[in-house]
Amino acid sequence: MSQRVARVTEVRVSKKSAPRVVAKKSSTAQKESSRTSPLRGEKNIIPAEREGPMIETRGIVKIFTNAAGAFTVLKGVDLTIERGEFVSIVGKSGSGKSTLLNMITGIDHPTSGQMIVGGADIYDNLSESARSKWRGRNLGIVFQFFQLLPMLTLLENVMLPMDYADMYEFESRPARAKELLVLVGLEKEASKLPAAVSTGQQQAAAIARALACDPPLLVADEPTGNLDSKSADAIIQVFEKLVAQGKTIVMVTHDPSLTSRTHRNIIISDGELIHEAVSRSMPQLRHRHMLEATKLAKPVTFKKGETILDFNQPVENLYVIVRGNVDVLKKSRGASKPLTQLGPDDFFGDIEILRGGKSIAAVRASEKESVEALALPKADFLRILSESPITKVALDKAVAEKMKNHKPAASKSEE
Amino acid sequence: MTLLSTSTTAASAVFFCLTMQPIIELQNIVKTYSTPAGDFAALRGINLRVYKGELLGIIGKSGAGKSTLLNMINGVDRATSGEILVRLNAATEERVGQFEESQLSLWRGRTMGVVYQSFQLLPMLTLVENIVLPMDLCGLYDARTSRERAIELLRLVELEDQAQKLPSQISGGQQQRAAIARALANDPPILVADEPTGSLDSVTADTIFELFEHLVSDQSKTIVMVTHDSSLAPRFSRSLTLADGELVSDSENAHSGGLRRVASAQKKVATKPARPKRGTKRGAK
Amino acid sequence: MIRPRWRKVFHDLFDNKARTLLVVFSIAVGVFSIGVISGAYKIIQSDMSVSYAANHPGNIELRLADFNADTLASIRNSAGIADAEGRRVVNFRVRTAANDKWVTLDIVALDDFAQNRVNLLAPVEGASIADKNQILLEKDVLENIKAQVGDPLSIELADGTVKTLLIVGIVQDASTGAGDFLAPSTAYIHMSSMPTLRQPQLYNRALVLVSEGQDDLEHIRIVGADLKSKLEKNGFPVFRTRFSETHKHPLADTVNAVLGILMALGILIVFLSSSLIANTLNALLNQHMRHIGVIKLVGGDNRQVLAMYLVLILAFSVLALAVAVPLGGGGAYGLATFLAGKLGFGLLGYRIVPSALLIQFLVGILVPLLAGLIPVIGGSRVTVLTALSGDSAREGDTRSTGDPASMTRWERVQTQAVIFLARRGIHIPRPFVISLRNTFRRRGRLALTLFTLTMGGAIFIGVFNVRVTLDDYIDSIGQYFRADVTLDFDQPYYIDEVKQFALQVPGVSTVEGWQFAGAELLDEQGAVIDNLNILAPPADSELIKPIISAGRFIKLGDERKLAISEAILNYYPNIQPGDLLPMNINGRVEHWEVVGLFKFVGRDGILAYMPLDYSAQISNMINRSFSFRIVTNPHDRATQDLMAEKLDRYFRDAGFKVRSSQSGLASLDSAAESLDTLVTFLLIMAILTAVVGSMGLAGTMGMNVLERTREIGITRAIGADDRAVMRTVIAEGLVIGMISFALAIVISVPITYLLSWIISVAVFESPLATHFTWQGYLIWLALLLVLSTVASILPARNAARLTIREVLAYE
Repeated sequence: MSQRVARVTEVRVSKKSAPRVVAKKSSTAQKESSRTSPLRGEKNIIPAEREGPMIETRGIVKIFTNAAGAFTVLKGVDLTIERGEFVSIVGKSGSGKSTLLNMITGIDHPTSGQMIVGGADIYDNLSESARSKWRGRNLGIVFQFFQLLPMLTLLENVMLPMDYADMYEFESRPARAKELLVLVGLEKEASKLPAAVSTGQQQAAAIARALACDPPLLVADEPTGNLDSKSADAIIQVFEKLVAQGKTIVMVTHDPSLTSRTHRNIIISDGELIHEAVSRSMPQLRHRHMLEATKLAKPVTFKKGETILDFNQPVENLYVIVRGNVDVLKKSRGASKPLTQLGPDDFFGDIEILRGGKSIAAVRASEKESVEALALPKADFLRILSESPITKVALDKAVAEKMKNHKPAASKSEE
Repeated sequence: MTLLSTSTTAASAVFFCLTMQPIIELQNIVKTYSTPAGDFAALRGINLRVYKGELLGIIGKSGAGKSTLLNMINGVDRATSGEILVRLNAATEERVGQFEESQLSLWRGRTMGVVYQSFQLLPMLTLVENIVLPMDLCGLYDARTSRERAIELLRLVELEDQAQKLPSQISGGQQQRAAIARALANDPPILVADEPTGSLDSVTADTIFELFEHLVSDQSKTIVMVTHDSSLAPRFSRSLTLADGELVSDSENAHSGGLRRVASAQKKVATKPARPKRGTKRGAK
Repeated sequence: MIRPRWRKVFHDLFDNKARTLLVVFSIAVGVFSIGVISGAYKIIQSDMSVSYAANHPGNIELRLADFNADTLASIRNSAGIADAEGRRVVNFRVRTAANDKWVTLDIVALDDFAQNRVNLLAPVEGASIADKNQILLEKDVLENIKAQVGDPLSIELADGTVKTLLIVGIVQDASTGAGDFLAPSTAYIHMSSMPTLRQPQLYNRALVLVSEGQDDLEHIRIVGADLKSKLEKNGFPVFRTRFSETHKHPLADTVNAVLGILMALGILIVFLSSSLIANTLNALLNQHMRHIGVIKLVGGDNRQVLAMYLVLILAFSVLALAVAVPLGGGGAYGLATFLAGKLGFGLLGYRIVPSALLIQFLVGILVPLLAGLIPVIGGSRVTVLTALSGDSAREGDTRSTGDPASMTRWERVQTQAVIFLARRGIHIPRPFVISLRNTFRRRGRLALTLFTLTMGGAIFIGVFNVRVTLDDYIDSIGQYFRADVTLDFDQPYYIDEVKQFALQVPGVSTVEGWQFAGAELLDEQGAVIDNLNILAPPADSELIKPIISAGRFIKLGDERKLAISEAILNYYPNIQPGDLLPMNINGRVEHWEVVGLFKFVGRDGILAYMPLDYSAQISNMINRSFSFRIVTNPHDRATQDLMAEKLDRYFRDAGFKVRSSQSGLASLDSAAESLDTLVTFLLIMAILTAVVGSMGLAGTMGMNVLERTREIGITRAIGADDRAVMRTVIAEGLVIGMISFALAIVISVPITYLLSWIISVAVFESPLATHFTWQGYLIWLALLLVLSTVASILPARNAARLTIREVLAYE
């Protein structure tokens, strides 16, 4: 429950009534929009908008069909990523994370749904070839296996996207490429071939190449998957620097030490996104259970100051706060006294469900703004917990902790 | 039921540890690659004993050296230094390093089935042909027996209906099961698997795991498997962690194993009838 | 059940159809061209002599004054003579209703068609026997006039009257005139028709068969010399004699030489196609690395893998043989038929030539095996680790698992070159840098591709040069026949008189009277070796520009002196200007001084020149001549034909007895035509080599693109659109094409010299001055540009079509 940095939107899962999307624009994203296009000559195929979310997917479905039958890899993914965000996408192999990434980069096409990147619907009436051109100008890709062209020197590799996109004056391209290599600390290796430098350096060069046309968006597929931990750290530092400069970075990884350094961590499981509030509030759950919880939970909204739980009532749901704050009130000498305030990714109702009995405190939406939450029915919650002993252990511990803190209040309420 | 057999395996593993020679023994295995940035040690002195009837998991991140380690055991790659001993029975002890490349193929065919993440079935052969291939190449069985064995193995992995299909016509999980059947073709006592579930979704991966458990418990195979997925650790009878070319922990799955068994036993009761037991023909010459 | 490994081999055979086609076609091209040439060689070698002998060619042909049956009988009874036939051969002008133009023919009169025993006539169409007032045409005649069996043939007699004979049949005479490109066509009548043509029923030619030693030219000469002296003693001067062996076609040597050249080209094609096979198999094994890895992983050893791929190669061979052997057999027969038709001999019918078949099988099986051995052995030895990690398949160089610590020297040269250029302000766009460096990545493959393409191109260019060389030579031969119209009369006329008449015809600018003397060349013992045709133009004639190779040409006042063609070197290899040459002229043996040697084409005897004045002196025809050379203005062929007709009519109307009026180079046309045939064959072979070369290029581009699929995917991922991807691939093809063109320019020089030397020695018996033409270079350049583009477009389009997901799934 630690990351609350510049988080902007929420993740929706299809088949649910879509909650309102709330967007807070980060200051970095606005800086981004002032970027001037260095595009020369012909017009960009799709003018990239400087406003609005960086990436917006609407009900992306991908079905692979082979002789064995159809297999749905993405089951309707809705995801919004704002400008300036550093987002990691996590999932087990086969979960569909690479496929989702391929959708964002325009490498693969969805069976249905819309993919809007930089304000443009990249699968609407655009040929594969035109999409390549678009990609060259609007996003940089970093691959797990670096994918530098082996016959070109690092400098030439970095210049190549500018040649393809025809951006920047021809004569100024070497200077720009050099600058980028300086940025990733490779100025000394500029005229070496990829095979002559270490893998970490290759990946750094690949990042420089991805930045060649100064795209607002960088997409990385397991960028550190083939690197030792030191090189991996260096790569992530470069990413952090870029994000600070206003780039949007989406990175697929399965390394937990990397996800902690991103603004947002999106988990995908069996082709569906897990609600970020679920994954953040109960990180010990297996992805499968997170997904189950995401599906079973109902989104609920409470008006400012609305009482969510009153004292001494049966608790039928576990509530996970998505947005807004709630005040937890205890009854002290007949009056309600605020005990604590809970924010996004906190949950309540767990104590009562786990220990049985009626509510030991009242919960009320804060006066400042309305509250959005997920309500997971008690029975579902218990079943999921029974299948995830680690989570149960963790929750039990947390409950014990809470109980210790609020013992007096609780005991009083029971009276 | 599975609970019973798995714990029997665990118990027998303990028993073997005390009484038997390990079936595979790695003595101080070092593997160094030269790279532009200088020599890179993928394995830095691995000592490992694998006992008969184990389902051994080696867990590590990518780059930790786990595939290299596996390739040392199955003789696909050679160690820079150190010895690998394989003892199929008390009387024989083979040093993997002693074989020439061509002998190695035959030896591997008889001793060790290999399963890879990407299945590695030959795309132009039907499943049954893919499974006959190792028998054809090693010459341990005549043509008719080979075919019967192949069908039997396909039955073991529940693919007998698909025998005449090409790999591309079946799903990934089915392909991996076929690859396992192929690994068993020459009835090797050992199976080594490199991320066998890496390309599969979680449900399919489970079935592969169940198959492994079945092979260990009912076919007394020894299985060594590497994976990057640490959440699989509880499912092995023993799991090791490999990091930066060194084994950092070697633990019997006592506590966490128990939890897993409860969960998996429940699930199995719910979803699946007991697996029919059909032994393959055993005891090749 | 078929064993799985053989099932795999079987599948591999048909898995990639384009690749299979490429390999099978490569093998088939080699097998086909070797089959065609060796088959044709064998067929012609046997049939040419058999069919020539089957016509009972006369060993000795005598041209002498008119003689009768008694003399013929005495010839028959001479020592060493088995048989003899007498004939009358007279030159006439003929035409049919369908032709406006008159054509000169040798009309041959036979006593009895049924009793024809020498120079047999083979029926082609209609009757093979001509009765009184009927005529049989030799089939070559049909090349000059439109005529059908049943048509009347108009024959113009010396006095201008026209008689008509009925064409009753077409026959083939493979013996008369064989070996002489310049010999006139013939027609045959019964002796009883001679009075119709106002000719006596007497013989003027004898065809003689010797009783033994029919294939011994030396023996035939001795018999001939004896016969001749016997006849001359009896008062029958012999004008010319010709000797030939029964089983040797006069052109056999030439044909063999030509087939030899074609054979050399055929072997080259096999060679080139084998490098194509090596390339393709190399790529195939690279693509199969993973399969090999799996096979070895599950227990296959090196030998088993080797066996699988050798069997695969054998299967390719079998497929190629199945296609190429029948085609090659047919082609061989076709080539033989064509040559036989051109040279006027028959074939014994279609058949399978066992030795050619054997050669085809050897080529079809051994060449692919040898070409494939290195890649297959390399492939079978690869370790499981390399095979499964796919390193070698991806990069091709040896650094896959070794240490990539430093760049190779070549890579450093490449990168430094770009930096060097950049410092001087020359920036090469990176996509083109990719094309350039890709070109040199698979250097083994590049070398083989360049080899095939360069050789194809060099031979292509060489053939064009040879053609120009030959054309040039024919042109220079034309310098001996510079007259636009040659007017021959049946009787001598005063030169001034003819001149006066001729100059009245508009367009005539110069007239010269020439004389001619027939002689026989003698050896040192005094035996006849060959005929010697001595032309006698005015010493200051402007109508002859000989190519003098030694000494000088004739000049005024030369007596018993001659300039002679280089063909004399066949008999007197060391002859030099100033030497005396024994000859039989006007029935006397004389020794003439050779003043110079010149180059000339022609096989029927040796040509020599003496001044008109001396000729007139010895022939006692001062200021008179049978033959006149006329220069018209302009000199084009149409004017020449027109003027020939005009002069013919004009002189006839004026009462001259015109024998023939021929336009300029008419007689050279047939020689040029047969050379054209030769050049056509060379060109076909050149095109075949070019096809093999461009197939090599197409195959290479296909393989390159296939292996670089992943890289192409990367370029697409970083913004290359379809056009950029295609440009990169096509540029690579063009770079290869242009490198090979540069090499071909260099290689074509020795090849041109070699080809023109071989051909000129084979055909003209003396080397020619080699000429070069831009034509071949330009055509090849254009062809290469097109070929390189076409060869790259298909792979490039496939490359552009791949979606990146598929490409990166190669991982």
